[in-house]
Amino acid sequence: MTWSKDALVLLLAGGVGSRLNILVKKRAKPAVPFAGIYRIIDFSLSNVMVSGLTKVGVLTQYKPLSLMSHLGTGEAWDFTGRSRGVKILPPRTGEKDSDWYQGTADAVRRNMDYLRNNPAREVLILSGDHIYNMDFDAVIDYHRSKGADVTVGMMVVPESEIHHFGAGITDEDNRIIDWEEKPKVARTNLASMGIYVFDYAYLLRTLARNRDEVDFGMHILPHAIKCDNVFAYPFSGYWRDVGTIQAYWQANMDVLNPESGISIPHWQVRTNVEAEGRPADRPPARFGANVVLKNSLISAGSNIQGTVINSVLSPGIVVEKGAVVKDSIVFADCIIRKGSMVDLAILDKRVEVGAEAVIGEGGNCDFANRVYPSHLFSGITLLGKEARVPARMSIGRNCIIDCNVTADHLPAAGLADGESIFLPEK
Amino acid sequence: MTLAMILAGGRVGELNALTYYRPKSAVPFGGFGRVIDFALSNLMNSGIERVAILSQYRSYSLINHLGTGAAWDMTGRYRRISILPPFQGSDETDWYRGSADAVFKNLDFVKYQKPERILILSGDHIYRMNYQDLIDYHQMKDADVTFACIKVEAQEAHRFGVAAIDDEDGEIGGKVSDYWEKPEQPQSNWASLTVLCFKPDVLYRVLKENQHEGSFEFGRDIIPKMIGDGLRVYGYKFSGYWGYTRTVEEYWRSSMDMLGDNPDIDLEKWGFRTNLDHLGIRDFQPLITGEECSVANSLIYNGCTVEGTVKNSILFPGVHVGKGAIVENSVVFFNNIIGKGCRLNKVVSDVNNNYGAESSVGGRSGCMPGRVTVVGWDNAVPAGYRIEEGAMIYPGIGEGNWPDIVKEGEVIR
Repeated sequence: MTWSKDALVLLLAGGVGSRLNILVKKRAKPAVPFAGIYRIIDFSLSNVMVSGLTKVGVLTQYKPLSLMSHLGTGEAWDFTGRSRGVKILPPRTGEKDSDWYQGTADAVRRNMDYLRNNPAREVLILSGDHIYNMDFDAVIDYHRSKGADVTVGMMVVPESEIHHFGAGITDEDNRIIDWEEKPKVARTNLASMGIYVFDYAYLLRTLARNRDEVDFGMHILPHAIKCDNVFAYPFSGYWRDVGTIQAYWQANMDVLNPESGISIPHWQVRTNVEAEGRPADRPPARFGANVVLKNSLISAGSNIQGTVINSVLSPGIVVEKGAVVKDSIVFADCIIRKGSMVDLAILDKRVEVGAEAVIGEGGNCDFANRVYPSHLFSGITLLGKEARVPARMSIGRNCIIDCNVTADHLPAAGLADGESIFLPEK
Repeated sequence: MTLAMILAGGRVGELNALTYYRPKSAVPFGGFGRVIDFALSNLMNSGIERVAILSQYRSYSLINHLGTGAAWDMTGRYRRISILPPFQGSDETDWYRGSADAVFKNLDFVKYQKPERILILSGDHIYRMNYQDLIDYHQMKDADVTFACIKVEAQEAHRFGVAAIDDEDGEIGGKVSDYWEKPEQPQSNWASLTVLCFKPDVLYRVLKENQHEGSFEFGRDIIPKMIGDGLRVYGYKFSGYWGYTRTVEEYWRSSMDMLGDNPDIDLEKWGFRTNLDHLGIRDFQPLITGEECSVANSLIYNGCTVEGTVKNSILFPGVHVGKGAIVENSVVFFNNIIGKGCRLNKVVSDVNNNYGAESSVGGRSGCMPGRVTVVGWDNAVPAGYRIEEGAMIYPGIGEGNWPDIVKEGEVIR
């Protein structure tokens, strides 16, 4: 058995991310587009690449097609070569297992054969859900220098947020001495980022111990903290779980703000431009004679004739004359027709906004979405993949228009603040 | 099976500083591609899957650009691009002495492919053509050679190879009865586009016979000889857009043809492809526009940051336009930094140039200058510096080698 000097990486990319609502209706959360040409998972994959790690297993479960096509051969992240590789690890039935993954540790345990076939000194377990830049090589060095069995990437968050996270209490040596998963009462502000380095043999032993331990945060870590050596790797810098519409929108806007801490060029974020019919073969963005541009990100293949302010545009967007796109995120190949207005909205792929239609009508953002008040409450309106809003229609704030909705499904009066249109599941 | 051979070796002196380190076919064009991408994209869109590139001058830029050929879907079991550089053999020791000689020297390669037709193309033109239409016409006429021609202005005809084509098939094409290469007194305004389809056996024979002559060009030598020998020579009449890049002015004009509401060249509609691996084009983030930028009638690719003004211009990946800078009527290649308050008007700027703050290059701001100013690559124009219009700056003028000012039309080496 040869031991790779590098750590083996397992990327957990199976999460539904249901708070992203219709953005995850047809794709897993890691495959949600971000910052024009990227997808959320690109940040984790690029961190792996830049850290010099070369072997990655991607655990998928929920709607994996978009993700699989995005990963392709892995060449975009330099994962092709004799000893390199990215493998998609879908759930499968075996002699003993036939269920879907019950949790993070369960997902890794069900891929024990992949682990055994790829021996390494450490196993780095990541989620594909976060926007951040981290040097995993430094984390692994730290793990070794501490003689840890497990090292957990952790960062300071506001105490009011700690109930979303695994919370760790550390001693002066950064040894984790106590752990609470999603505590209701904050005793610490040190939150787990869902990034774990395990000693290879330790991980195999631990997973073999008890099949009821299905989650790293809930089961594996508390046990390990009691009995073994668990250290916190303190991270400071930009890190966002873009699992809510609000956080997702804000992180996209952060790309436009040089002070925010996101820097895609410096982070060397890479994406697979060849997925889905080579979208980045598109020619340069074309700008008409009377455009107004301000503080925006615009991808190749777009044709801008109107106004774009504080917005993030994916490839192939058409903004016709007199149309205004403001404070919005627009996915690939949307058409914003003449004289229309898109204000504080997220438009999934191939949405068409008819001439003189308004998305985000009125200045009142206080009526949360009636169906999903916890998803949409800050004024953002969501338009699903291939939705079509007819000419001159008015759509309010905090609205949801499902994928494939057309004029036939929409009331002629449009949608008031907080209203939604959903199509029945086929 | 059609074998396509692209003549991509030429340097073409008139592009001067732009072809100092690269053949003309590798000159950047269109905001992210290269001139040769037009021929390659046409081949891909015409379904021609075997391609050879004849390259001689500074070919590494071209070799990098072609990569595996995957960008044009030319990798696969039966699909490929081969690069054919000059070589030494037991008989051959020379450089390519001309376009016909380049093909002759590679006839072993050509014959091995057993092509049914050989399509010979220049890699230097900006156009969209379905070669299959020309091939169909060639087959229909059972021609020995068929070449594409376009009608040019009578006063321009002397700059081209021109053919006397009859109206045998009306607007589609006709028999060629005469051909003159760059005639002083043109007797026709059908200019050859250097797109020629040959019957292989005929090509092998005429190339062999041509070896006894002193000149080895398809236009000047092969076509007139074939007409003289009474072979079946046909002209295919092409009526689409055709852009030239032979001179700096032509290059600039063809680039400007991409702008406007209804551009002559719409890369999206044309199905244009380039190799995104070259210079890491695919790794650039999308365009970032600043708080106070102004953009009008321009093409801007990913990787640019615009904080100033860009109008009637084309920016390749990685161009940074600083605050208060005005770039107009210009073509700026990869990775230029245009400092605060700079002025560029009617400039073609090669890769990796850095314009110091408040420097001014080309015509005065706001008017349309007469002549193009060219700045070759790897130049750092000092802050506050003035380069007047029509000047030609060669690559890599070192710090301290700049005169006080570059006067109108001056050449700096």
